[in-house]
Amino acid sequence: MEKKDEKRPLLSDAEKNIQSLKEILSAQDILVYRFETADKKLCAAVYADGITDKELLGELAARPLAQANAPKTRREAEKLLLFPELKEADDAETAAFEILSGNPALLIDGIEGAIILGTKKVALRAVMEPQTAITVKGPREGFIEDVKTNMSLIRRRFKTPNLQFEMLTVGKQSGTAVCVAYLKGIADESLVKKVCERIQETEIDGVPDSSYIAQFLTDRPHSVFKQAGTTEKPDILCAKMLEGRIGILVDGSPIALTLPYMLAEDFQSAQDYFVSPVRATFSRILRLLAVLVAVFLPAMYVAAQLFRLQLLPFGLLMTISGGIRGIPLSPSLEMFFLLIVLEVLIEASIRMPKYVALALSVIGALVLGDTAVKAGLVSSPAIIIIALSGISAYTVPDLTGTVSVIRMAYLVAAGSIGIYGVILLTGLLAYYLVSSDSWGTPLLAPFSPLIRQDLRDSVYKADLFSLRKRPQVFEPKNRTRLRKKNAAQEEKEKS
Amino acid sequence: MNEKALNIRQICFLFAAVLPVTRMLVYPATLSFHAKNDLVLSAFISFAAEFAVISLLLLLAKKTDLTFFELLQNTFGKFIARAVYFLFSLYFLFSALLPVLEQRGFILQVFYENVPSFLSFIPFVAVCLYACTKGLRSIGRVADLSMPVFAVCIPVLLLLAVPEADFTALLPVGATGAGNIFRSAAESMNWFSGAAYMLLFLGNFRYEKKSSVKILSAYAIGAAIVLFFLAVFYGIFSDISILQQNALAHISKYATAFTSLGRIDLLFVFALSLVLLFALCIPLQLSTHCAAQAFSIKPAFPAAAISVLVLLFILFFNQAYLEIQTLMTQKLWYVFAFFALLLPALALLLRKKEREKPNIAVNSGKKE
Repeated sequence: MEKKDEKRPLLSDAEKNIQSLKEILSAQDILVYRFETADKKLCAAVYADGITDKELLGELAARPLAQANAPKTRREAEKLLLFPELKEADDAETAAFEILSGNPALLIDGIEGAIILGTKKVALRAVMEPQTAITVKGPREGFIEDVKTNMSLIRRRFKTPNLQFEMLTVGKQSGTAVCVAYLKGIADESLVKKVCERIQETEIDGVPDSSYIAQFLTDRPHSVFKQAGTTEKPDILCAKMLEGRIGILVDGSPIALTLPYMLAEDFQSAQDYFVSPVRATFSRILRLLAVLVAVFLPAMYVAAQLFRLQLLPFGLLMTISGGIRGIPLSPSLEMFFLLIVLEVLIEASIRMPKYVALALSVIGALVLGDTAVKAGLVSSPAIIIIALSGISAYTVPDLTGTVSVIRMAYLVAAGSIGIYGVILLTGLLAYYLVSSDSWGTPLLAPFSPLIRQDLRDSVYKADLFSLRKRPQVFEPKNRTRLRKKNAAQEEKEKS
Repeated sequence: MNEKALNIRQICFLFAAVLPVTRMLVYPATLSFHAKNDLVLSAFISFAAEFAVISLLLLLAKKTDLTFFELLQNTFGKFIARAVYFLFSLYFLFSALLPVLEQRGFILQVFYENVPSFLSFIPFVAVCLYACTKGLRSIGRVADLSMPVFAVCIPVLLLLAVPEADFTALLPVGATGAGNIFRSAAESMNWFSGAAYMLLFLGNFRYEKKSSVKILSAYAIGAAIVLFFLAVFYGIFSDISILQQNALAHISKYATAFTSLGRIDLLFVFALSLVLLFALCIPLQLSTHCAAQAFSIKPAFPAAAISVLVLLFILFFNQAYLEIQTLMTQKLWYVFAFFALLLPALALLLRKKEREKPNIAVNSGKKE
């Protein structure tokens, strides 16, 4: 809803106030429920149909007012109402905004202003495990589209007064609620202030998803690398907040943002913290290697074929040369063609209805793959390389988009000037990444700049008792997050 | 947050892992031209000289937290400071030219046999241009990334090479004669710009307790690795060392030649090429830094100018590596000695300002 500078005050005449609100809210789903008090004074509840709990409105607002004499002041009226969540609005614009949010405005003849009743009722899906972050061990709750529910999921995990929520409204038309969550005394409050300022700096019609807010918060909008972390799980968000990050929840989006962001956090999984450190370290190394394979393997295959056959062991060279004999396309063109096919298959599999998924996998894997090889259009090694690269990219789901773009860039570099092109592109990316940061935190931390203490939870995952301090990179005020009570203290407590 | 562009650890990594790679291409073959089996002795002299000057600069860093520009300004005024920085800008550009051409041979030999070398230089210059706009901070940050690469690759290459080396080829020690050893050291000044780098780093890092020990130890480790590399190199190639222009690519070739794994050593050489790329960008980055200071302009302008100059140089002298090498090593060695050793040593005489008391709240290990 667009807010105008001039505000119309709500006077003591209920009928005129209804008129004022109807002028602003002319849509047909804005309804007026008129009733009278025991002494025949007009009362009206203006509400948006579909997002207001009418039963609650009737039981807790209309019934007590209808059974009593008209209150003289708003205080008196509020005493009659049995609502835990009551607000007041002095002008029509504020009342209209609340009505559109699902909270009816109660107008009583003879009382200036409106009483806003917290009876918002929106159809919500249940809190369930997010499809994109399934874990074998650990909590299974996921965020949903309602910001209040999401806030409650965080509040449930932090029974501390230090948990703070900064509420903002973004979007001229959508009036979307944005919540900046942080732990006072742990997170950098100046960062919270800056983030809130940045979010409010942008005037936009609507915010359909948190990715819009992520774009408000980035200094490099064209970067292929993310500038904010994302998660669909409250346990992950809470863990990150405990490290000193801040969380951003957006009404209508099940994806929460976390700031500051580091590239290394995408290689970490929630499950790493629920299994043994050795297993977690192994999984992280595996993910890192998989991403390297996803990015470099197609490019290195092309470069090795075009420019540096010595790189391949003799047996493998013979197998490959047998496989590529008679292929009409050059290695780089062949690989490029297959990468495009892979991307098309991925795009289609995301968007297609589930009941055609099986048919598409048959077409994709068998018809396109097997038949193309039999027809001599592409070679078997190329298919294997692309399949391996494609699967590997999904070991780190948050980076698949980035990996796809970079993989293509590497392929072009390798196809043009071989392995030297791969090295030059790596150098360029290194310079780009070392000079990038997310709200003051280097993107490549804790590797560059090297922060020795933070390496304990990077690719290597130390045991819980080694992670006594919060990550140094965020410079939290309160560094200690884990402390073992010493024997003396324990004895003291016992005595 | 540490507002300084670099930290002690990054400088250590630079000396221990980044700069040694530049001394593993043409330097060993060049050394063996005059010094022959005494190439290790000759290199030791160069390292010792650079070590001494870096020690002096660390003494200066201990006394003041001013940059070299500020020290010059304090002593001689702004105009002279700018003029000296302009000269240093030219020096760094000049010192980058031979390694850039050196790289040409390395690329041709290690990466391909069938692509015009000039084509590979254009993207290289593009990377340099980008790096030059990123300032001193990026030098330290890429040093952080280089360290693990170096720490993995160099031991593997040396382990592959050592069994093939006959160290008796280095005997008898000193047989080449002092004249040839010193001559060889003087003519290899082009590969020893470390002290000049350190001069430019002054004031850009926070001097802490034991910083000198850490940096000098890192330098000594880097030097020891290069000396060992030279010994292994000569142990393998002996009298034909002079023909092995790209030592890094050759040193392990015999170990892998007859295995069924292919040239796996090349994977490590490729990885080290990344470190080499970072190392080659440093003089150009410093040249940009100096030019930007000298003219008080944004780094993008000198970065563009320097990149164009490098590209033109490559265009005209692409095929004249030997002539350029002869000019730089045999005729103009004193220019390098002047800028890389004498001037940094003289910096100790500049007027200093007392060091400010360190802020206790600042944690030295924190991010930049």
